[in-house]
Amino acid sequence: MADIADETFMESLGDRVDLSDSTPAPSRLKSRIYSALVERQAATGALMSLTECHEYGGELCVFEQLVRLAPVGEAVKSLNFCRVCHARVLGEHINNAPIYWGGCPYVQFKKS
Amino acid sequence: MPARAATNFLMMLTPLPQPGPTPPQAVDANEEDAALVAAVLRKDRKATAEFVARYADSVYGYIRSRLAPRYDQVDDIVQDVFLSAWESLTRYQATGRLQAWIMGIARHKVEDYYRARLRTPESFVENPEVQAGPDEALRMQEILEQEELQKQTRQVMAALPEKYRLALLWRYWEKASAREMAQKTGKTEKAVERLLARARAEFRERWNRG
Repeated sequence: MADIADETFMESLGDRVDLSDSTPAPSRLKSRIYSALVERQAATGALMSLTECHEYGGELCVFEQLVRLAPVGEAVKSLNFCRVCHARVLGEHINNAPIYWGGCPYVQFKKS
Repeated sequence: MPARAATNFLMMLTPLPQPGPTPPQAVDANEEDAALVAAVLRKDRKATAEFVARYADSVYGYIRSRLAPRYDQVDDIVQDVFLSAWESLTRYQATGRLQAWIMGIARHKVEDYYRARLRTPESFVENPEVQAGPDEALRMQEILEQEELQKQTRQVMAALPEKYRLALLWRYWEKASAREMAQKTGKTEKAVERLLARARAEFRERWNRG
């Protein structure tokens, strides 16, 4: 008898009580996820080149701009430059890392 | 022109009502989702960053709510959701919202977590910090404020042994049946029902303590 009451009580709680959590994801987690995704993408073939990214309207960071304008082939422009960038290291380990330049995904995650 | 012919003519001019038209905003949103998915599949790193920025908060909040108060696995599960989403992104159909699709993956990951934790043959260790209090009658009707109801539910859930908490979350918040839980954990339905009965009794006892 008590168990039937418990069952009804729990069903009622499950329907009425919203246990959702509005805590935003920390920027360092977003950074980690982004790095892991791009790493996976790069492991299965070239990334979209920085020239194409720019043409599609993507905002490039200052380092990516340099590579895009450099007289190198598209294959080089398709490399994962974030992998060797100090912004990635800071972004993955520190929440709201002290990086401020535009076009950097790790900066974007501080705002999102 | 005969009256009937005139009526038919007018009917031809009148646009027929469409059954359940999709609101223009929803169409735009779906197109926007499809464009983002296409860009991520093209390995556009900026779109990939946008994909993470757009959905990480909702996935994180959901996973946290389903693992509370044990947060040590939250980050890994959230990351796993995104990696799985990337791996199956080609299967995404733009007929539904991308957010709902990703949350579906998150729900599966939570189920995987519940399954793994409930399979582990651990003893039901009580949380040492929880103090016993005087017994009280079930007082749900007296709690008028939804906020208070939520607060108490969270507190009681947080104080429950993990297996009880996960079983209750899976059954009453994720709406899985005892049969589904049994199939996914490799237990018998009876065993799951016994676990749920113990979890409910424990929940009630702690609830009554206030």
